[in-house]
Amino acid sequence: MTGSLTWGSVTKAAGASETPVKGGTLVYLEQQPHTNLYPPAGGFYPNGGILNQITDKLTYQNPETLEIEPWIAESWTVNADATEYTFKIRKGVTFSDGTPLDAAAVAKNYDVYGRGSKDLKLPISEVINNYDRSEVIDPQTVKFYFKKPSPGFLQGTSVIGSGLVSLATLALPYEALGDATKIIGSGPFVVAAETLGRELTLNARTDYNWGPAKLAQQGRAYLDTIKYIITPEDSVRIGALLAGQADVIRQVQAYDEKQVEDEGYLIYAPSTRGVNNSVVFRPDNPLVADIRVRRALLHATNADEIVSTLFSANYPKATSIIAKTALGYVDLSSRLSYDLEKAKALLDEAGWKEGTNGLRQKDGQVLELTAYESLPQPQNKETLQLVSQQWGKIGVKLNVLTADSGSATVNNLDPAKAPVSPAMVGRADPDVIKSQYYPTNRNVLLQKGGNSDKVQTFLDEKLNTLLDNLASEPDRAKRLAIAGDVQAYVVDQAYAIPIFEEPQAFAAAPYVKGLSFEAVGRPSFYGTWLAPRH
Amino acid sequence: MSRYVIGRVGQALLVLWAAFTVSFVLLQALPGDAILIKFLNPELGLGPEQIAEIRASYGADVPLLSQYLHSIVNFLSGEFGYSVQAGVPVGDLLLAKLPPSLWLATLGFLLATILAVSIAVLSTLAPFAWLRSLIQSVPSLFVSTPVFWLGILLIQVFSFQLRLIPVINPGPWEALILPVLTLAVPISAPLAQILIRNIDEVMTEPFIAVARAKGASRSWVLWKHVAKNAILPTLTIGGILFGELLAGAVVTEAVFGLNGIGGLTQRAVGSQDIAVLQALVVFSAVAFVLINLAVDLLYPVFDPRLRIRERAAA
Repeated sequence: MTGSLTWGSVTKAAGASETPVKGGTLVYLEQQPHTNLYPPAGGFYPNGGILNQITDKLTYQNPETLEIEPWIAESWTVNADATEYTFKIRKGVTFSDGTPLDAAAVAKNYDVYGRGSKDLKLPISEVINNYDRSEVIDPQTVKFYFKKPSPGFLQGTSVIGSGLVSLATLALPYEALGDATKIIGSGPFVVAAETLGRELTLNARTDYNWGPAKLAQQGRAYLDTIKYIITPEDSVRIGALLAGQADVIRQVQAYDEKQVEDEGYLIYAPSTRGVNNSVVFRPDNPLVADIRVRRALLHATNADEIVSTLFSANYPKATSIIAKTALGYVDLSSRLSYDLEKAKALLDEAGWKEGTNGLRQKDGQVLELTAYESLPQPQNKETLQLVSQQWGKIGVKLNVLTADSGSATVNNLDPAKAPVSPAMVGRADPDVIKSQYYPTNRNVLLQKGGNSDKVQTFLDEKLNTLLDNLASEPDRAKRLAIAGDVQAYVVDQAYAIPIFEEPQAFAAAPYVKGLSFEAVGRPSFYGTWLAPRH
Repeated sequence: MSRYVIGRVGQALLVLWAAFTVSFVLLQALPGDAILIKFLNPELGLGPEQIAEIRASYGADVPLLSQYLHSIVNFLSGEFGYSVQAGVPVGDLLLAKLPPSLWLATLGFLLATILAVSIAVLSTLAPFAWLRSLIQSVPSLFVSTPVFWLGILLIQVFSFQLRLIPVINPGPWEALILPVLTLAVPISAPLAQILIRNIDEVMTEPFIAVARAKGASRSWVLWKHVAKNAILPTLTIGGILFGELLAGAVVTEAVFGLNGIGGLTQRAVGSQDIAVLQALVVFSAVAFVLINLAVDLLYPVFDPRLRIRERAAA
């Protein structure tokens, strides 16, 4: 058969492949098992990769334009200072347990996500700021009130962490939500079966008819079934894909991309569009409290070398603390120059002189710093080790430590133990900058008043005021201007050294068509179909 | 005989209680805890007050002694608590992960035994001295083969190149072939080594020389006299190895995506998921105790001298 393949049959096959094929099972290899599937915990990639298929959101963020478009909400109004949002809910939407997705269900979802639940141990969603309460106006209309302006809320209704679930799911305590079969959404797929930590089967909902209104794809999904199989080992995932045992795999390392492409398979590397993969400082630690030391290390970091040595074209060099494709991005590359002479001069000025062993010293103390590897970030250990070599050229020692995720989490919250830390976060709204740096959010700089009780004094009021304004400025133009100010401030203070724009890297067989990704790189299989294999 | 059995069972229960108590104390002494690790996760962006509330709701600040009594009562009634990390009951986790691990361990051990016996027999009976010493060096080769490398190699060859056995979506038996082979190779090495050494030792005993002088062949001596004598120490080592097999197949499980007890242990240690770790310690202790009990009870079956001593004592 293969021998008698003629030109005609090739073109015919190519033409035929443009008409979507219904049915079939897609085998998707995931690196890690999902953890808790409470939707606000959807930031963890394996969680988001499942939640994005089984839950719908109030709104849809167009991954191309980043505009917010109708989905479960047909329309909405926002008052002038962004403290009141009213949504009209589409009629006829149901959760997979048969209960209606109406205004009351939406109100209940947001009350839980916006306020958390002490009894059920459900934490507050990080994308909802200043939430006060909901009001059901009629069965298809719901209104939300905020204590302060919350301009990021509209985008916040489109993210995976805001997936809508049935009242039965919301009634469960946090610890029961690791079981995927308990997550009842209204999405195009439904969890059919799960073998904990190993396999998950999603079936298409045949009555699904409420996809995002502007999407070309409407009605039910093409695929019948998606099989998620946990395959921790990188080489096994790639080998299985190339041997035809799997159709799509997540987490392809940059050094494996060429092998995949050489075999005619496709790499997808959607941007996570948030705060770039960076190295951040914890100024509470006296060694990096001096801005001149931080600036010296910023200028001693050669991001070009890191990107060209360890990564591929899918990992663009960072030119600000957020990605080029992120809302409110400003180009700060001129302030991020690699300049060893400047770096040395800054350290000299700060009183750190080169000692006999080549290391910088001051008052008998050596400039020796420590960072813990972040397991979820691509080649993070190698990246930090290369940074360590680069800093070595100006006489600064960086120890790169590996720890189990538990100890790393605890140690990483102590500025004395981890004065330097890798950091990144994805979300396609300027609020993401606040999420990353604000003390009561992710607090990557370890300010006082946040999740670390080891911080002595460090607090940057100016930064926090900027971040507060960013999250509560209702005027879009003004808000984007503030986003620019924050980026410039973080770089000028040398709090963070941005390195590259982090994508999510997937590989797929060429016959997998219509694979798409939401705004921060989680896969969506709603419009995916399988062309005949040759 | 019955006193012997009762004594061994009593010892076993004592070991289990000690394992539970010691692991409880050690796990409480860890620097962080699962709740802290899970909720300090910057992804959730929780403030200190929220974390304190969550800790209180999990009962993390209850005095240790009442936590201890509470959990020992729960364990006795088969209630292992919730995994903080995975968000499911620990009992469900164990039930999901035990069967693949048990099959892997049992079949791996069987295959390892077959391999070890074959190596030992060949190294005694092979025709030339150089061939015998070559076969004798096989265990050293096996023990120094990295399991990780072997697993990947087997997958590459049998699954990806020859396409004989799929690693993704295999049938229940297909799923076990390569991992069992991977696991059996390193486990067979110490077994074979001990067997070979014991065979060599027994071979130098005077009664063997007598048998040989009477004209018995090498293989007749091996099967009739040596095998029985060499099997006891091997049985002991086997019991210990089997205990390790259950929790120790972490690498094999990771390579083949088997996700059994090994992978569960690895993740539970990483996230200090104490409820899971406590259950795993107790489970491993039960498995270890049961297997050693079985080995102890098997001893008299293989060695008549032990039976006589038992009778004399009774």
